Amino acid sequence: MIRLENICVVYSTKKVLDNLNLTIEAGEFISVCGQTGCGKSTMLRLILGAERPTSGRVLIEGRELPRPDRHRGYVPQKYSLFPDRTVIDNITFGPEMEEFGILGRLTPAFRRRRRELRDEAHRFLRQMGLHESDANKYPDQLSGGMQQRVAIAQALIMRPKILLMDEAFSALDPATRLDMQRLVRKLWAETGTTILFVTHNVAEAVYLGTRVVGLGKARVLFDVSVPDSARDQDRERFEKIVEEASLLATSGERLEFEVPEFST
Amino acid sequence: MLFRVDARPSPITAWTLSWFLFAAGIALYFYTAHNRHIENPDDRVVPGLHQLGQGIAGAFTRPDTDDQDGPAVGFTQSMIFTDTVASAKRFVWSMLLLVPAVILGLHMGMFPVIGQFFLRFILFFDKIIALSVLPILFIAFGIDELAKIMLIVIGVTPTIILDTVNMTKGVPPEQVVKGFTLGAHDFGVSYLIVLKQILPRVLNSIRLNLKAIMLFLFAGEMIASQDGLAFRIALLRRHMGMNVIIPYVLWVALLLFLVDLSMRVLNRKMHPWFHE
Repeated sequence: MIRLENICVVYSTKKVLDNLNLTIEAGEFISVCGQTGCGKSTMLRLILGAERPTSGRVLIEGRELPRPDRHRGYVPQKYSLFPDRTVIDNITFGPEMEEFGILGRLTPAFRRRRRELRDEAHRFLRQMGLHESDANKYPDQLSGGMQQRVAIAQALIMRPKILLMDEAFSALDPATRLDMQRLVRKLWAETGTTILFVTHNVAEAVYLGTRVVGLGKARVLFDVSVPDSARDQDRERFEKIVEEASLLATSGERLEFEVPEFST
Repeated sequence: MLFRVDARPSPITAWTLSWFLFAAGIALYFYTAHNRHIENPDDRVVPGLHQLGQGIAGAFTRPDTDDQDGPAVGFTQSMIFTDTVASAKRFVWSMLLLVPAVILGLHMGMFPVIGQFFLRFILFFDKIIALSVLPILFIAFGIDELAKIMLIVIGVTPTIILDTVNMTKGVPPEQVVKGFTLGAHDFGVSYLIVLKQILPRVLNSIRLNLKAIMLFLFAGEMIASQDGLAFRIALLRRHMGMNVIIPYVLWVALLLFLVDLSMRVLNRKMHPWFHE
């Protein structure tokens, strides 16, 4: 469970987040949307531990964690892979690092374990829909969508409790983007990881999340659960939700959001 | 044609153009040499082909310039060999001393406390003209090897350190955060993510500084030394030994070119992912 308590973040004079309160339950897929500069990336970085609030507390399982760690996976929009490592080495980097550190790599046990880890990495590759032939390529030889698939595999091999994705698909073309959205939904259903997905695209937010939080003017504008029916059967109404949500996200005021016509 | 930005010279034209100044320079040299030798057959300022040949042969067969007429020695005792080895030793030492410089730069860039501790001091050192402290170095370290290597260290390492700091800070913060989320700690992130990524750029930076390294090496050798390529060049100035000086200058240029080339090839082999 993630709790944000009375969070304020101030950059020099600009208030990025103003007294923000939010609770995220384990296993939720929460998408955060809002326009550029609304503080959504700041919120993600707070949960990640890469940034500290000016005031307020970020509690993860009841504890404040001041630095990023192996329990919180991270997939940013850019620079999501290590450019100097091949695809397979990018994926095995986490487990190797965690189990052997820097000097442990010199031990014979490392070589043995590395083979196992590579096999596991290959399984992840297949799960992500990548080909075996991609394993020894460097990230810049892959398309943007492929890179993000590897980045997700790299994060998930650590089996994090929380996966934080910051505009992870924003640089992709629409078709690839849809594929990636389906993939993430599938992985979420399979692994039960808590996912927090930040995007400026409201349609993406509603499609992905079980819950959509709209940020604007440094505050939460709306916070709504998305029923399954809105995604699966009721395509038309789902489109309507998207439309309404986008209106909400662009108007600066907090509005009550009701979805009475959907039953779960 | 000459002042057109869209000019596309043919391969033959391009080849001719790029070699023209070499050919002209060589032609002008031998023309001058020829004219001077008509006036004075013993002219030493612009040696002709025959004198150059003698000079080069001497460099390969004589242990020293002082006994021009002594017996020929083997290659490993010839002056070009001993001079090159002496200079190469100092060069290798200075290159090795760049390793701690890079490590320090990495730590300064990664760890703010270490950065604060060293940065101002190294910025100050960077502004000191290394040659101006040469007398201090000779007084402090004596006039042997240590002073010469210290000259190179003081002249080049601040640049390399500051360069490395900037490159370290240029690594996207996402990479560092990513490292932490994958179970790495501070040193793991510093050495296995950041250093690994900046290494090709660091090598390029060292390549750019090769000339500065050689400059300080030569300054030290010319002022106080008993051997080395620059020592020989400085010594032969007194003898007006242009027929050895010119081959030495070209030999040094060739050596530097080869070092640079091998570093470039090594860099590309080591870092196939890196594109400039």
